Amino acid sequence: MAEYKMKSLMVFNYDRPVIEKGYANQTLCIDISDVVISVKPVTEKIKNVFIGGKGFDLWLLWNAVNSTTTWSDPENAICIASGPMGGTPVYPGSGKSIVTTISPLTGSVIDSNVGGYFGPYLKFSGFDALEVTGKSLKDVVLFIDGIDEKVQIFEASGLPDDSYALSAILTKYFDRGKPRNISVVSTGPGAKNTRMGCLNFTWYDLKRKRARYKQAGRGGIGGVFADKGIKAIVARWDTVTTKTNNPADATTLKEVGRKHSREVVELDPKQNQMAQIGTTHLVPIMNDFDLLPTHNFQYGQHSEADNIGQEVFRRIFDPGYDGCWMGCTLACSHGVKDFVPLTGPYKGIKVFVDGPEYETIAGCGSNLGIFDPHTIIEMNFYCDTYGLDTISVGTSTAFAMECFEMGLINESHTGGMNLSFGNRLAALEVVHQMARGEGFGQIIGRGVRQMKMIFSRDYGADPDLMQDIGMEAKGLEFSEYMTKESLAQQGGYGLALKGPQHDEAWLIFLDMVHNFMPTFEQKAEALHWFPMFRTWFGLCGLCKLPWNDVVPEDNKDTPEPAKVMKHVEWYADYYTAVTGRQTTADGLIRMSEAVYNFQRIFNLKMGFGQREHDNIPYRAMGPVKIVEYESRAERYDKQLVEKHNIDITGKTTEEKIALLRKFRENLYEKLKDAVYKRRGWTSNGIPTIDTVKRLGIDFPEVLELLKAHGVES
Amino acid sequence: MIRVNGKKHFWYEGMTIKDLLNNFNKSHLYAVVRINDKHISRPYFEKTLIPDNSEVFLIPMVAGG
Repeated sequence: MAEYKMKSLMVFNYDRPVIEKGYANQTLCIDISDVVISVKPVTEKIKNVFIGGKGFDLWLLWNAVNSTTTWSDPENAICIASGPMGGTPVYPGSGKSIVTTISPLTGSVIDSNVGGYFGPYLKFSGFDALEVTGKSLKDVVLFIDGIDEKVQIFEASGLPDDSYALSAILTKYFDRGKPRNISVVSTGPGAKNTRMGCLNFTWYDLKRKRARYKQAGRGGIGGVFADKGIKAIVARWDTVTTKTNNPADATTLKEVGRKHSREVVELDPKQNQMAQIGTTHLVPIMNDFDLLPTHNFQYGQHSEADNIGQEVFRRIFDPGYDGCWMGCTLACSHGVKDFVPLTGPYKGIKVFVDGPEYETIAGCGSNLGIFDPHTIIEMNFYCDTYGLDTISVGTSTAFAMECFEMGLINESHTGGMNLSFGNRLAALEVVHQMARGEGFGQIIGRGVRQMKMIFSRDYGADPDLMQDIGMEAKGLEFSEYMTKESLAQQGGYGLALKGPQHDEAWLIFLDMVHNFMPTFEQKAEALHWFPMFRTWFGLCGLCKLPWNDVVPEDNKDTPEPAKVMKHVEWYADYYTAVTGRQTTADGLIRMSEAVYNFQRIFNLKMGFGQREHDNIPYRAMGPVKIVEYESRAERYDKQLVEKHNIDITGKTTEEKIALLRKFRENLYEKLKDAVYKRRGWTSNGIPTIDTVKRLGIDFPEVLELLKAHGVES
Repeated sequence: MIRVNGKKHFWYEGMTIKDLLNNFNKSHLYAVVRINDKHISRPYFEKTLIPDNSEVFLIPMVAGG
């Protein structure tokens, strides 16, 4: 390890405010171009409208950028916030941070939800949110020290590029003998050289005596971070108790927290066992229901899926407590100890790997035709330490592999790499090339949207075909679920504000397996309620897993089992207990509606946010190629005959594909109509004046923007 | 004898998951069942035999992702 140097450029001393009912009531702004640090107050109105977390981030970002700001402009801000309940140790899943910025992949707002200690430590240090603007020519480390009440900017040199190694060094540098007091945000070389860079947020594992990592993965936030010249942001804070948030009603908070914790402890072992196997239980289940993406989302099932499922990872994961926030009883952040990579700079060296989770297994495994758990773990490790989003890496590589197998690109384009599905060494080499910014990996690292343009322009590939099979929408790569047979989940992806990520609405099971929403109106209602409720977690600094990944035993007897209302009501109690603001289950939805609609309007400000931007590639709706159709011919034939009254006698597969496509695309457009209406939007997908007034987001700039798009009262 | 969600339940040779679920109300809400540590999904309920002395968990799965 080369010697590193940290030279202090500025120290900003401040008086740490007392946390009042979950709020510090101020935000921290750091302009690294001019080396200026300032503090902005958080007003009651801002709290009323934006609540916290992503809401605060969006407000800061909205005021930082203009409609022509690109991801690499100095005024683009990286905003990080927890939320009023963030940092509560007694309630499971209460340590989340939300990060927002203008995305290199989408050109609009991206938000990413991440575990680790940073968000709570930032707040307890005196700041509800952090906004970083500007750019530095030299690497800087930002240090927020809530114990000594100072913010410091360091010029750094000689630090490692790899995120894992960097975080470990900075933890030691700042910890003063108490590593649990430190949380580091960093990225790696892949973020500099691609559009799909992630951020790693650390939490300190006392038992294993090491920094552990969670990722703010989506949308290339790591790229913005690296482009600004930020090497790392470090927060330091001391002991955390239930009192640290100074809740309005500590007794109720403890009571409701205890209830939910107890339920998780009692039921998780009987249900999904997330405390033992994380989200890996989803692999065989998704496979059984034809929902596990394989070979670039062509199919949803593979005979080798059990090789990468929970039974295997149960044996591979290092047993022990894996909570990414203190006291979380779900504790699903598992890892692999003493893993020895076979490639790359860590070849032959034992490392600890944080993960994999379901998305990584599907993205870097089944979707690439790879069913070897150790290759997936190695992909996971290198993506993390290089600062790359495993979902975008997986989906982009899967697209390139299909293009290769179809002959749209060949070895003369890939630098001699055989990019066939299942080629494990090629998949790993792509990741290493991304980190180095070299070769064909560098092209894959630009994402599916850019690849479509490059392959068409430079290699003569068929743009229409690539449009159908390139799994991106709004510029963001799809996360790892098959949606062909679930119209509601097509909407869950296509109508999501930031692009096709499942954290807004995961409706596959409810729609396809349980058939809870057979009508358009029911689907539209689900595509209103679920995104709103899931948004609420991001406003408050919470993880959504304890809500519905552990289900009360009597849930099936409730009127709306999909919503798990017993837990929703606990969350309302939790919010009231911390903030002192009375609310109900419906009140939580209203909170989210304001922020959700504001983000939609933010998209409009950036040149997006209209109906055309909610389109999805046809592969998300149905079979593109003959081989896809014929692999499930019985299903598709039956639908054409029974659902659409088509006489298929004598029809070729191509003809049947065309007919099915017409029906399914029409259904998707009808779904858009129904959802827009339910959300209070115009038929072009823009919130109406009535909607923004009802939600209290009728700011002059918002009204002007709506007017410019023909939306007036 | 098997245990279902922690409670004793009768068992017979050849009992499938589908047979077991016939004994429960609103069993259509169970799309996944765990037998000991192995998850079995609905498409396989009919042909999956439950071994004697199994720990069976009916999983009311509504989430994921």
